[in-house]
Amino acid sequence: MRFILIFTTALILSGCYQSESSLKDSLIYCPESKALSFNPQISHDISSLDATTHQLYNRLVKRDPTTHNYVPDLATGWLLSIDKLSYTFFLRQNVNFHRTDYFTPTRHFKADDVIFSLQRMLDKAHPFHSVNQAMGYYFFNHPFTNLIDNIVKIDDYTIKFILKKPDITLLDNLAAHYSVILSQEYAQQLIAHGEPDKIDFYPIGTGPYKFKSSNDAGITHYLNHAKFWGDKISVNNLIFDVTENNTKRYAKLLTGECDIIANPAPSQLKQMSEKANILLSSEPTANILLWAFNSSKIPFTEKKIRQAFSKAVDQNNLLEAVFYQSATATSTLLNHQSWAYNRRSTNIQYKPQEALSTLQEMGYDFNKKITILTPVKNSLFNHSFHKIAELIQANLLKIGVKSEILFLTQTELEKRLISGKYDTYLTAVNGKINEPDTIFRPLLSCDSSVLEGNSSQWCSKEVQSLLNLTLSESNFTTRIKNYYKLQEIIQEERIYFPIAHVLRMDAFKTNISGFWVDPFTGINFQHVKKTEVH
Amino acid sequence: MLNYLFRRLNLLLITALILSIIAFIISLWSNQARPAQDVNVFILYADYMGNLLQGQWGISLINQKSHMLNGLIAFSSTLELCLVALLTSIIIGIPLGIFSGIYRNGLLDYAIMSIALIGLALPAFWLAIMLIMLPITFDMGLPVDGNISPIYDIPMITSFQLIDSLLASDLYNLAAFTDRLTHLILPSVVLSFFLTSEIIRLTRYSISQVMKSNYIKAANTKGLTVIQIVFRHVLKNALPPIIPQLRLQLNTIISIAMTVEIVFDAQGSGVWLLTSIKGGDYLALSAAVIIISGFILLSSIVIDILQMFISPTTRKMLYADK
Repeated sequence: MRFILIFTTALILSGCYQSESSLKDSLIYCPESKALSFNPQISHDISSLDATTHQLYNRLVKRDPTTHNYVPDLATGWLLSIDKLSYTFFLRQNVNFHRTDYFTPTRHFKADDVIFSLQRMLDKAHPFHSVNQAMGYYFFNHPFTNLIDNIVKIDDYTIKFILKKPDITLLDNLAAHYSVILSQEYAQQLIAHGEPDKIDFYPIGTGPYKFKSSNDAGITHYLNHAKFWGDKISVNNLIFDVTENNTKRYAKLLTGECDIIANPAPSQLKQMSEKANILLSSEPTANILLWAFNSSKIPFTEKKIRQAFSKAVDQNNLLEAVFYQSATATSTLLNHQSWAYNRRSTNIQYKPQEALSTLQEMGYDFNKKITILTPVKNSLFNHSFHKIAELIQANLLKIGVKSEILFLTQTELEKRLISGKYDTYLTAVNGKINEPDTIFRPLLSCDSSVLEGNSSQWCSKEVQSLLNLTLSESNFTTRIKNYYKLQEIIQEERIYFPIAHVLRMDAFKTNISGFWVDPFTGINFQHVKKTEVH
Repeated sequence: MLNYLFRRLNLLLITALILSIIAFIISLWSNQARPAQDVNVFILYADYMGNLLQGQWGISLINQKSHMLNGLIAFSSTLELCLVALLTSIIIGIPLGIFSGIYRNGLLDYAIMSIALIGLALPAFWLAIMLIMLPITFDMGLPVDGNISPIYDIPMITSFQLIDSLLASDLYNLAAFTDRLTHLILPSVVLSFFLTSEIIRLTRYSISQVMKSNYIKAANTKGLTVIQIVFRHVLKNALPPIIPQLRLQLNTIISIAMTVEIVFDAQGSGVWLLTSIKGGDYLALSAAVIIISGFILLSSIVIDILQMFISPTTRKMLYADK
C-alpha cells in the first residue's frame, strides 16, 4: 500500500520532469575518472586527454580520423628541407584565444605562442618548465629533447624547426596530445600576477570549447568558443560529469542524465547492444595489457622458463572471462593497426603439458611460490587486474606452479618495482603516438627504468642497437624491416606475455552524432550534434 | 517556564562540552594539528575552543576551503534530503498508522504492520543500490543521481538546493526546481522507507492507547461515527506524544541519510566525510562531529519547547517540581 503510494507520488512528480537529454544545446559526457589537470602536456592519462586535447586546444597538425594522414590544424602547411634537417611551418592567421572570466586576449595567435608552448617542454630555463612539477613526468620532455635542436621564429606566422638529425617522427610528435598550443600572453599575465601554476588548471587555448568551471564533485563545465576559427559548434554547454561506478554510469545513460558514457563495463555490453536507443562505439587503441617476467631474477633469467610460463596461461579463457567482447587477443606488443605490426608473428598457444615438461626438464623448483604483482587501482582500460591475476594463478596451479598475488597501491608498487624483488608483474601500457618506438623503447631499452615501463628489467645489446638504429633511419622500408625483426626477437625471447589490446568503448544515445575518439589523443566533441528526442 | 528553559540549557552545555572534547581529541590525532610535546593539553583545548568560536575550523586539504564552510554546505544538503523524506513519510505514515491503530489486530492492521516491519528490516544502502538498478531493469526514467543536473548552474545562496533553484527561477523558470525535486525522489524514497515504518509503528501505538480510554467509549455511546471520533477526540490526544519519539529517531535518520547519499553520489555530508577520510583530511571529522551533533542537540531542545506549547500534558510536567 505504502509502496504503491510512494511510487504514484514519484510517478506523478516525474511527469513534470523534463529529462536532461531533451535540452538540445547541452551535452553531458560521463567519464570514469577526473582529469588530473587541464593541460595534456603534463597529464597523460586518458581522462585528462579526453577533457582537454580536442576540446580546449589545437595543435599545429593533426591526424585525419579516416585517412590517418597529417592534416593542418593551426598550421596551414609545412615544408621539409632537402637535407631533411628542418621543417618550416606556416601558421593560420586570425585565430582567437578563449575569452573567459579570468583572461581577455588582446591579440591573435602567432608564432610566439607555438615557441612558448613547445619550449616549455624543451628548455629547462623556461619560466614554466618546472611549474606544477611538470618535469617530473617521463613524457614531459622525452619526445622532443632528442629530436629538436631549435625552434626559430622567422616572422609572426612562420616558424622553423631545426632537427638534431633527420627524424621522421616530428609530425607524429606535433600531432600528439602534448603538442597543444597555449597562450603566451596569458602565461605572461599569470607571471605578472605571481600565480603561474594556474596555467594548467585555468586553461586558455584556441579550441572549440572554453573552460568555465570545475568542481570537487568532478563536474566540469565548458562553453562554446564563439570566436572559434573553424566550423560553428552546435553544442553550447559541454559538461563532463565524472561517475565512477559502472552500473550507475549505465543507469544515468538510460535516464538521460548522461548523453555519452565512457567505458561501459564489459559485462553490460550485451544488454546495451540490445537496447534500441543506445549505440556503442569501439575504437582499437595502442593500449596493451601484459604480464612482464622479471628477466633479472632466477628462474626468469632463462628463456625456456619464460616460454613455458607463457604456454601455461590460457589467453582465450582470460579474454572471455574478463573482457567479453571488449578486447582483442594479441601475441605481440604492437596493435594490429600499427604500420609496423608483423603479420607473420605466430599466435601464443595454450599448451600446459608442454609447459610442464619444459619446466621439469629445466629443473624448476615446484615448491617455490612466484609473485604476481598487481596494481590495486584498475587503470581506465583494464577493468580488472584482480580477476586476470586470479585466472593466471589458477592456470599456473594446474601445472603445479604455486603463485602469490600481491595487490599493491601505487607507492608500494613503485617501491617494490625499484627494489626488483618480484617475479612477474601484471600491467598495462598505452602508446602515446602512432610510433612503435614509443611502445618498444620504454619496455625494452636499457636506458629505460622500471618505472618508465621496463618492468621485465630487460637489457640486451641486440635489442638496444636495433632500437637506436631504427629511430634514426629515414628509409621507411628499412624501419619496417627492423621492427619486424624486433618483434621476432621479442616473440622468441618471451620477455613479456602480451594478453590483450583493450578496445576503447563509449556508449551513447541515438540522438547524438558526430563525435569521434582518437585512439591516441582522446575524444573529440568538435562536430558533435544532438537532435531532439521524441 | 524560565526554570524549564534553564534546565534544558544546562543539559545543552554539558553535552556540548563533552562533544567539543571529542572533537578536540580527533583534531589532536589528525596530522594537521600535531602539538609540541611539552604543551599543556588544557591550553591546547582552550586554543582549540577559541579558534572554534571564531569560526576558524581549519582549512581542507582537498579543496583549500574552510572546514566549517564545507561542512555546513554538505550538511544542509543532507538536511534537505532528510526533510523531504520526513515530509513524505509523515504524509504516508500517519494515515496508515491511524488505520492500523483503529482496527488494531484486524486484517488491515496485520497487512500494514508486516509491510512496516519489512521496511524496518531492509538495510537502507541495499535498497538504494537496488533502486539504482531500476532504470536498467524496468526502463524507468527517474534520475539516479542525488544532485541537481549539472546543466543547471544555479548560484549558491542558502546552500539548500531546493530553495536556491527556486531563487534562480529567473534563469531557468521552474525547470531547475523540478529537476532538483526529481533527483531527490529516489534517495528520499529509500530514506522514507525506514522513517515511514517508524511513524506507522508510533502512530499505531499511540492511537490504540487513546482508543482504549474512557472518553472514547463515552463518545461511542453518544452515537458518533468512527470518523467523527477520530477527528474530534483521537488525533488531538494521540499525535503530540509521537513528536518526542520522533526526535529520538533524528540521529538514526541522519546517519542513514549519509549512507544513502554515498550510494546516490549526492554531495552531502556522507560524501564529504568519505572523500575527506580518503584524502587523509581527518580534521573534517571533528568538524562533522560539531556540526552534526550540534544540530541534533539544538533541534531536540527546539522540539521540546515546541511540544511544550502544543501539548498541555507536558506543560503540566514542567511545574511538577514546584
